[in-house]
Formats: sequence, structure tokens, C-alpha cells
Amino acid sequence: MSHLLILVPFCCVIILNLPIRKVMRSLAPVAAIVLSLLQVVMVLCFDCHFWQTQFGIIGTFFKFNLVVDRLAILMLLCIGIVSFVTAVIARVLIKERKERFDFASLLLISLSALNGIVMVRDIFSLYVFLEIAAVISFILIAFKANLLAYEGAFKYIIFSAIASIFLLCGTSLLLITSGSTDFSLINASLTAQAFSPSIILAVGLFLVGLFIKAGVVPFHWWLPDAYSEAPSPVSVYLAGIVTKAVGVYALIRVAVSVFGMHKSICTVFLLLGAVTIVVGAVAAITQTDFKRMLSYSSISQVGYIILALGSASPLGIAAACFHLFNHAIFKSLLFVNAAAVELQTGTRDMDKVSGLSQRMPITGLTSVLGSLSCAGIPPLAGFWSKLLIVIALLSTGHFVYAVVAVLASVVTLGYFLVMQRKVFFGKISEEFSNIKEAGLGIVVPEIILAAITVGIGIFFPVILNRFILPLGG
Amino acid sequence: MSASAVYLFWIFGIFIVMLFSIGLYCILATFNLIRALIGVEILIKAVTLLIIVAGFLSGHTALTQSLVITMIVIEAVVMTIAVGIVLGIHKQNKSLDVRKIRSLKG
Repeated sequence: MSHLLILVPFCCVIILNLPIRKVMRSLAPVAAIVLSLLQVVMVLCFDCHFWQTQFGIIGTFFKFNLVVDRLAILMLLCIGIVSFVTAVIARVLIKERKERFDFASLLLISLSALNGIVMVRDIFSLYVFLEIAAVISFILIAFKANLLAYEGAFKYIIFSAIASIFLLCGTSLLLITSGSTDFSLINASLTAQAFSPSIILAVGLFLVGLFIKAGVVPFHWWLPDAYSEAPSPVSVYLAGIVTKAVGVYALIRVAVSVFGMHKSICTVFLLLGAVTIVVGAVAAITQTDFKRMLSYSSISQVGYIILALGSASPLGIAAACFHLFNHAIFKSLLFVNAAAVELQTGTRDMDKVSGLSQRMPITGLTSVLGSLSCAGIPPLAGFWSKLLIVIALLSTGHFVYAVVAVLASVVTLGYFLVMQRKVFFGKISEEFSNIKEAGLGIVVPEIILAAITVGIGIFFPVILNRFILPLGG
Repeated sequence: MSASAVYLFWIFGIFIVMLFSIGLYCILATFNLIRALIGVEILIKAVTLLIIVAGFLSGHTALTQSLVITMIVIEAVVMTIAVGIVLGIHKQNKSLDVRKIRSLKG
């Protein structure tokens, strides 16, 4: 029945856009919240009847080859949580009713596209869903309709189009060499024949396409502009899940089940991962814009995921997936904090605000939790995934990369502490002495996300053997 | 691959490489937003041709036909959004020159 995860949001958008405007306009934001919450509930009881049932008559019309495994379940959970948070804070942050309706419709289409990316087992279907998610992101980034937002969106369009061109070149070369677009058939034919120049070219082109979509360092130029100029709910959604599912998840899936973790691919992953971690962290130190700093931090964390993937051991792959999940949670949390600060003070410049913790205690506390988790401080969730990454690197003999990972973690702690000191600690300035805590619609998602981060950190010994280690396969 | 297939592949190959270089040159050399989009479009055309050749060489012509139709639809959607954003830029900036909208840096 996993088809329903794609079909229901899609049909919902069609129904919402029927010409009975008045009812539908108030219904759309609620529909987005309900559907994403439903997805979280469905995923949390993944032993239930829903996932095993075959799809009857409608299944004959939708011949997608959908497979739901442990990694896909994890990603579906992530998508559900982040979409729920986005839909909830959008009700507060987007003021006009028409815009709220548009946002909810776009969010639902994007939800169904992301669910598709997670479950498909076919290169071309993957491309189609990637492109749907990308088109929705273009519109969402340009949602504010000012010049800066247009500039960020245009950069993303050019980079994304070039990424699609790389992906399609790779697809067509794989089609020539293996005669199919199905994951398992391509994998079988790649392992059967030795690595010829055309296969290396095909794999290289495909990986470059996914690197651009994921924002890995030599291809990261679009990412800070797009994240920081998008409206706040969109930043949460893009940083939390869209680039992670579109770029990083697709990279993990393709590297593991199509290209089979060849040794040269792993070397590329290790090298690019280390460079991404360092460049992202160093660039984040110098930023003064809150959201821009978080974008560079996001680039740096993607580096950790790629680095863990490069160790090519089952533990490394499990650590990459676990860090992907943790990153989605704590980076959404930090972007929600940034949204709260921007909403209450009207600025994103970290030099202009100070001492907000006194007036916004919950935002201050949750942002401390989020940034400590991102920097890898025990017992929060981020610490455990970084520990697993370092152990995976050490056990496969990559000592230099392990040292880079640990040192960059210190830099991460550094820039987050600077951010905390500037924005939340210290004496409150005259200008902001009478601001209040953001409304319930922002505080509740903050508390939920912080609770997930702390909960996973504390109950890590329980979930390690049951959920995390089996992810490596 | 038979001899005629190799021959055909070279003919198509020359055109694909030509389209690729024209598209890349178009993107890299211009400062105009619309021209950059035209460059992207030419690159996509090159890829479309490559997929058709791939289908011919691997004997999956029916599969590649459906792929190419899907691709054309997606490409049209992407270009519609892109041109919409270029229109928005022109409305606010009264110019299509990339050098005048470089405000996001660092």
C-alpha cells in the first residue's frame, strides 16, 4: 500500500484546488498538517497491516516498483516530522490567507515527491521525482517575491538544471552499458563486467549530479543563497529534508544498491566529505547572518554523512543514515529558532541582537540543545552519530579522516558558541527590551524537535541494536 | 554493435558533442539571464539526443521513447518556472544583466 504515500497528497492537492475557494482556503493548511502527522503515525507502526497489503486494482495502473526497507522507513519518518513542523510554523509565519493556501498546496506536492524519491527503485523514476521536488523548491524559494529571493531561486534553477543534465547523461550511458534503468539490474550488470571507461564516465556523471543536488563543496554555491533568502518555513523545509532527501539520501541509495561501494567511489566520498566538512565549518565562522551561518553549518554536516559513507563498512553506512536523521531534526530545530528570532526582532543579523534568552527562554534553551547536538556534545543525539562515524572511520583504517572529523567538530562547537553568545546570552539591548516569546505555533514545534533530540540521545543504547545497526544491511 | 550502428553512433556523437559545447559556451559567456536559460535548454536537447541514441544502441527504443516524452514535459515545466522568475527579476530591476543583481555573496 506504499503507493498511497505518493497518491494521497497528490489527490489531496487536486481536491483542494477545486473551484470552491472559500472552504478550501481554510482547509488546505489543516490538510497539510493532518497528512504529515498521519505519515509519522503510519511509519511509527511499521509492523502493521498497511505496509504488507498489496495494492488491488489501482496498483495495475501505477506500475512503480516501490520497495520500503529500513532506510526508506527512516527517511519517511524524517519527511513526516519535518513537513509537520513546517506546516505548523507556516500557519504562524505566513500571514495572508491566499499565500497560506498556496504554501500548503506546494508543501503537499513536495511531500508526495519526496515520498516517491525515498521508495522508487528505478533511475528514471528517481529523476522524475527529483525534478518535481526541485520545481516545488524553486517556487518556494521565490515565495517572498523580492529581488534577493529571485536571485537565490535563479541560482538554484541553473545549478539544478545542470545537475539534471549530469544525471540524465549518466542514466543514458548506464542504459547503453547495462540495458536497463532498474537498480538491481544495473547493479548486476556492473558487477558482471569490469569497470570500462564508459562505466566510469557514467558513474562519475551520475555522482556529480547528485553532489550538486546535495550541496557538496565544489558544487555548493547555490545553497547558502537559496536557504537564507527563502521565507523561514521554507528554510526549515529545505534544510531539514528537501536537500537531504533529494541529494544525500539519493546518493546513499545509489552508491549502496546500484554502484555497490566500489573502492574508487569510496575514495572520492572520503576526499569530498573531508573538504566539505572543513570548508563548511570555516565559512560558517565568518557569517553574521543567522540563517546563512546555519546554511554553511548544514553544508558541513552533509560532509560528515558523505565521509561516513566513504568508509564503506556496514557500520559506516548505518552511521551515515543515523546522522542524516539527526541532522534533519536538529537543523530544523535551529532554523525554527532562527525563524522565531526573525519574527520577534525583525532582523537576522547576529551583531544587532543580544541577550534574547531573557525574553525568549524556550527559544534560547532549545537553540542551545540544537547547537550542542550539532556540535556533538554528549548525551545528545548528534554526539552518538558522530561517535559512530569516527568509530567507522577508525575501524576501516582511515585515521587522517577521523582526525579531520573530530577537529572540525571542535570548530562547529566554536561557531555555535559564538552564535549563542551573540544572540541569546549576555545583556539585552535597549531596543529589544520589551519583546515577547514567539507564539504557540512556533514554541510547540521547538519543544517537539528538542525532545526528539534529547530522547534519542538518552535512549541511544536501547535503539542502537534494534534500529541503527540493521540500517547498514 | 554492428558496423552500421557504430557508424550511426559516430554521426549522432558529433552532433551531441557540438550541442554540448554550444550550450556550455552559451552559459559561460553570457551575462544575460534569458540567454543562460537558452544555454541550459540547448544542453537538455543534447541529453535528449543522447538518450535516443542510447535506446537505439541497447535495443530499448520503446522505453527511451517514453523517457524522452517525460523529459520534455519536465523540461517545459522547469523552463516555465525559470522564465517566471526572470520576469520577476526584470520587473523589479528593469534589467536582465547578471552583473546588476549580484547582491548575495560570502
